Amino acid sequence: MSSTTEALPQPHRRDIAPAKLGGRGAPGHGGGGHGYATGHGEGGPASKRVIVGYGFWIFLLSDIVMFSCFFAAHAVLQTATAGGPSGRALFDPSRVAIETGCLLASSFTCGLSAVATEARSRLWTQLCLLVTGLLGFAFLTLEAKEFAGMVAAGNGPQRSAFLSSFFAVVGCHGLHVSAGLLWLGTMMAQIYVKGFRPNIVRRLLCFNLFWHALDIIWVALFTIVYLVGEGR
Amino acid sequence: MTPAKEEINADDVAPGVMEAADHSIRDGIQGYLIGLALAIMLTVASFYIVHTPLIWGPGIPVALVVLAIAQIGVHLVFFLHITTAPDNTNNVLALAFGVLIVALVIGGSLWIMSHLNQNMLPMDQMTRMQR
Amino acid sequence: MHLLGKLSWNAIPWDQPIPLVAGAVVFVALFAVVAWTILKGHLPYLWREWITSVDHKRIGVMYTLLALVMLVRGFVDAIMMRSQQAIAFRAPGYLPPEHYNQIFSAHGTIMIFFAAMPLMIGLMNFVVPLQLGVRDVAFPTLNATSFWLTATGALLVNISLVVGEFDPAGWLPYPPLSELRYSPGVGVDYYLWALLISGVGTLMTGINFVTTILKIRAPGMSYLRMTIFCWTALAANLMIVAAFPVLTATLAMLTLDRYLGFHFFTNAAGGNMMMFINLIWAWGHPEVYILALPSFGVFSEVISTFSGKPLFGYRSMVAATMFICLVSFTVWLHHFFTMGAGADVNGIFGIATSIIAVGTGVKIYNWLFTMYGGRIRFATPMLWAMGFLVTFTIGGMTGVLLAVPPADFQLHNSLFLVAHFHNVLISGVLFAGFAGITYWFPKAFGFRLHEGWGKAAFWFSLIGFYVTFMPLYVAGLLGMTRRLQHYEVAAWHPWMLVAAFGIVIMTCALACQVTQIVVSIRRRDELRDETGDPWDGRSLEWATASPPPAFNFAVLPDVRGEEPYQAIKRRAIETQQLSSEAQYEPIELPRNSPTGFIAAFFSTITGFALIWHIWWMVGLGLAAAYAVFVWFAWRDVEEYEIPADAVARADRDRRRARAEWLDHHERAGEPA
Repeated sequence: MSSTTEALPQPHRRDIAPAKLGGRGAPGHGGGGHGYATGHGEGGPASKRVIVGYGFWIFLLSDIVMFSCFFAAHAVLQTATAGGPSGRALFDPSRVAIETGCLLASSFTCGLSAVATEARSRLWTQLCLLVTGLLGFAFLTLEAKEFAGMVAAGNGPQRSAFLSSFFAVVGCHGLHVSAGLLWLGTMMAQIYVKGFRPNIVRRLLCFNLFWHALDIIWVALFTIVYLVGEGR
Repeated sequence: MTPAKEEINADDVAPGVMEAADHSIRDGIQGYLIGLALAIMLTVASFYIVHTPLIWGPGIPVALVVLAIAQIGVHLVFFLHITTAPDNTNNVLALAFGVLIVALVIGGSLWIMSHLNQNMLPMDQMTRMQR
Repeated sequence: MHLLGKLSWNAIPWDQPIPLVAGAVVFVALFAVVAWTILKGHLPYLWREWITSVDHKRIGVMYTLLALVMLVRGFVDAIMMRSQQAIAFRAPGYLPPEHYNQIFSAHGTIMIFFAAMPLMIGLMNFVVPLQLGVRDVAFPTLNATSFWLTATGALLVNISLVVGEFDPAGWLPYPPLSELRYSPGVGVDYYLWALLISGVGTLMTGINFVTTILKIRAPGMSYLRMTIFCWTALAANLMIVAAFPVLTATLAMLTLDRYLGFHFFTNAAGGNMMMFINLIWAWGHPEVYILALPSFGVFSEVISTFSGKPLFGYRSMVAATMFICLVSFTVWLHHFFTMGAGADVNGIFGIATSIIAVGTGVKIYNWLFTMYGGRIRFATPMLWAMGFLVTFTIGGMTGVLLAVPPADFQLHNSLFLVAHFHNVLISGVLFAGFAGITYWFPKAFGFRLHEGWGKAAFWFSLIGFYVTFMPLYVAGLLGMTRRLQHYEVAAWHPWMLVAAFGIVIMTCALACQVTQIVVSIRRRDELRDETGDPWDGRSLEWATASPPPAFNFAVLPDVRGEEPYQAIKRRAIETQQLSSEAQYEPIELPRNSPTGFIAAFFSTITGFALIWHIWWMVGLGLAAAYAVFVWFAWRDVEEYEIPADAVARADRDRRRARAEWLDHHERAGEPA
C-alpha cells in the first residue's frame, strides 16, 4: 500500500500487532473478530480499554464544563458581598496550602497505583490507593472545618451572593472528592475480591483519570477562588 | 508508507494510558516524580507571588492565571499522559473542544454580565432606590 | 418534622376538575395496560426482552414510544391553550390563570425534553450502530440507564398533574418568579428534579454516542464514509456533552436557592437573576441544534434514498454540520437582546446568529440539488421531507428577522416569536421524527407503515400547521404577547379563532397517525418487508434483515467507499450473485441487565422525596441507588455468546431472501 486516499480500498489493519502498553483488553463486544483497531478510521471497532477510557474522558470534559458554570457564576458574583465579608477577610492561605499539598500528594500516589497496577502488584496497588484515600480524606476534613467555621461565624452561603457562589463551587469540588472516596473504597474491595480482571483494570484507569481531573479543577479553584480572591 | 508509521497511525490509546512501549516500573515512577516536582514548584510559586512586592500589583492575577495554566498543562502531560502523538488525536481534540466550551461559557458570561451591569442599574442600587 | 414532609391530602387538587379528570383517565388507562399485561402473561416477556434489554434497537424503540406518548400529552396541553385563547376574548375562558400558567409551562417542558429529545435520541439509538455497521453502542447498560432516567423525568412531570402542581413559571423558569419567595409551591421543584434526573440520562447518552461514533465503526468505515445521519448524530451528541452540564449546573444553582437559601438569582443579598438567563440560554441555544441537527440527518437520508441519488455535496454537508455544532455555542445572547446589554454585545451576537443560518442554507441547497435530476418517489417519508424544506425555510427566514436586534426589540416575547420557534421545531423536529419513523419502521418491525394513512397524516399536519401558526405571526405583529390567559384587543380575536381551527386540523392528523399504526399492524402480512431493504436504501442498516437479529450483522460489513450498501447491491447485480458466504464465528453480546430500570426506580423515589422534602426517603433512595451500582459492578459474566451455527442460520435466511430479490431483479431487468 502506498496511498491512503479515500478512493482506494484499504486492507484492514486488524492484523497489526499491538505495540502499545496496555492497549489490548478483550476485543470490544462490537468487535467480533475485528478486535484490533484504530480510532482514526478504518480498522474496525477499537479495543474495549480505549472505548472505556475515551468515554470516561468525554465524561470528565463534560464535568469540567459543569464546573466552568460555577466558576462563571463565582466570577460574576465575586463582588456581590452585600455588605458581608469578602475573600480577604475569610480565607486562610496556610490552610489552602495544606489542602493543596494533600491533593497534589494524593494525585501522585494515585499515579503510583497505576504503575503498580501495570506491574500487577496487588499489594502496592492497594497500598497506594489507601494512601490516596487517606490524603483525600484529610483534604475533605480540612475543607469541612473551613466550611463549618465560616457558617458558625454567620458567613454561610445565605449571607451573600458571593458566599453562595463560593460555597457552591468549592462544595461541588468537595462533593466530587467525596464521591471519589466512595468509588475508591469500592474499587479496593473489588481488587481484594476479584483481583486484576480486565474490567477492573479498566475501572482503575477511569478512577485515575477522575482523581487527576479533580486535582486539575483544584488548581483552578485555589488560583481563582482563593489566591486571586484573596487579593480583593 | 513505512510499516512503522502505519503502525502509529493505526493505533489508538485511551487517555491516561502511558505511552512508551518499552515502559518499565522505574520509568513510570520517574514520570510521576517529574510531574510532582514541577507541580510543587508551580504551586509554591503561586502561593509565593500573592503577596510579593516583586510583581506589579495588578499583574498578580495575570501571573497567577498563567501559573495555573502551566500547572494544568503539567498535570495533563505527566499525570493524565495526554500527548501530541497521533494515537492521541481523539483525546486531544476532545480536550480542545472542552476547553473551547469552557472559554466560551466563562468569557461570554463575564462579557455579557458586565454589559448588563453597564446598561441596567445593578441590583443593589435598584433595591436602594426602592427604599 | 412531618414523616411525609410537605405531602398531604391537600396536595391533590380536589377542587380542580380538569387535572383530576385527566389524571384519572391516565391512571385508568395505565392501570388497564398493566392489568392486561399481567393477565395475558406478557410480563415475563416484557421484563426479559424490553425492560432489562440493553440492545440499542430495543432501547431506540422504547425511546420513540415514550416520545410519542409524551407528544400526545403535550398536544393535549396545546389544544387547551389554543381553545382558551379562542374563547378568552373579554372573558375569563375556562382555565383559571394559575392553571393556565402550569399548562404552558408543561407544554414547553414536555415537548422539548420528553417528546422531541427522546424522539431524536430514539432514532439515533436505533439507527446509528446499524449505519456504522457494528453490533451495539459503546456502553449498552449505560444506554438502558439513560433511557430509564429519561422515563423517570417524564413520570415525575406526569405525577405533578395530580399530586401537587407543575411549574407555573414557564418552561425555563426565570427567577425571581421561580424563586421560593414568589413560587412557594412544589411546581418549580417538580420541574427542577425532573430535569436534573433526566438531564443525567441525556448526558450519558451524549457520552455514549460520541464514544460509539468515534471509536466503534465497521472496518473501513472512515469518518468521511459515515452517513450524514451519523455525522449529525456525532455533532448533536458533542453538543449534548458540552451543553447539558450547563443546564445541570444552572438548575442546580436554582435548586440551591430554593432549598438551602443560597442567593445566586434572588433579588436580595446581591444575587443576579440575569445570570440565570445568561446560563440557561448558554445551554438553550445549543439545545435547539441538538434537536435540529439529527433531524437534518434524517432528511438527508430520506431525500437521498427517495431521489435515488447520492447526497449532493456530501463534504459540504459534513462541514456545515460541524460548523453549526461549533457556532451554536456563540449565539445564545439573541434570546435576551432586550435585557439590557449594550450595542456591542447585541450587535456581535446578532451577526453570529445571522451567520449560523449560512450553515443551514448550505444544507437546504444540498437537499434541493440532491432532488434535482433525481428519480423522486413520493413515499410518505419523502413527503415529510419536502414539507420540511418549504416550511423550515419560512421559519428560518423569520428567525433571521428576529436575529436583528432592533426588530427583536419589537418582536421579543410576542406571538411572532412563538410562531417562529413552532415553525422551525414542528417542521424541523416533528416532521423529521415522523419521516424517520416511517422510514425506519420496516427495519425495526419487519413491515411497512400504511402509505395512505401516512400521507393523510402528512397533509393534515402540513395544512394544520399553516392554519395554526401563520395567524400567530400576524397576531404577534399586531402586538399580542405570549402566554396571555385572556385579552381585550378585538383585532387579535379572529386570528385566535383561525389558530384554534388549525388545531382541529392537527387533531385530524393525530387521528390519522393512530389509525396508520393500527391499520399497519392489522395488515402487517401484506406490508411485510422480506428483503430487509424496502426502500432501495443506500446505507448499511438495509444490509441486514428486518428486523435485524440481536447481533445486527453476522459478519461485520467490509466498507470500501461511501454508500457501502449501494455498492454491495451494484456488485451483486453486476455479477448476478451474492458475495460468497462468510466464515461464521460465535458472537459475544452484552447480557441484559435490570440495572437501568432499578436505578431509575430509586431515582424516581429520590426525586419525589426531594420535591416533597421527605428527607428519610431521600437517604433511602440514594443508598439504594448506590447499592444497585455496586451490585452491577460486582457481576462476573458480562456477556453471553451466540454460537456460530445460530449466527449462520440467521444469516442464511437473510441470504435466501436476498437471492430471491436478485432473481427477481434479473428478470425485471432493471438498471441498478
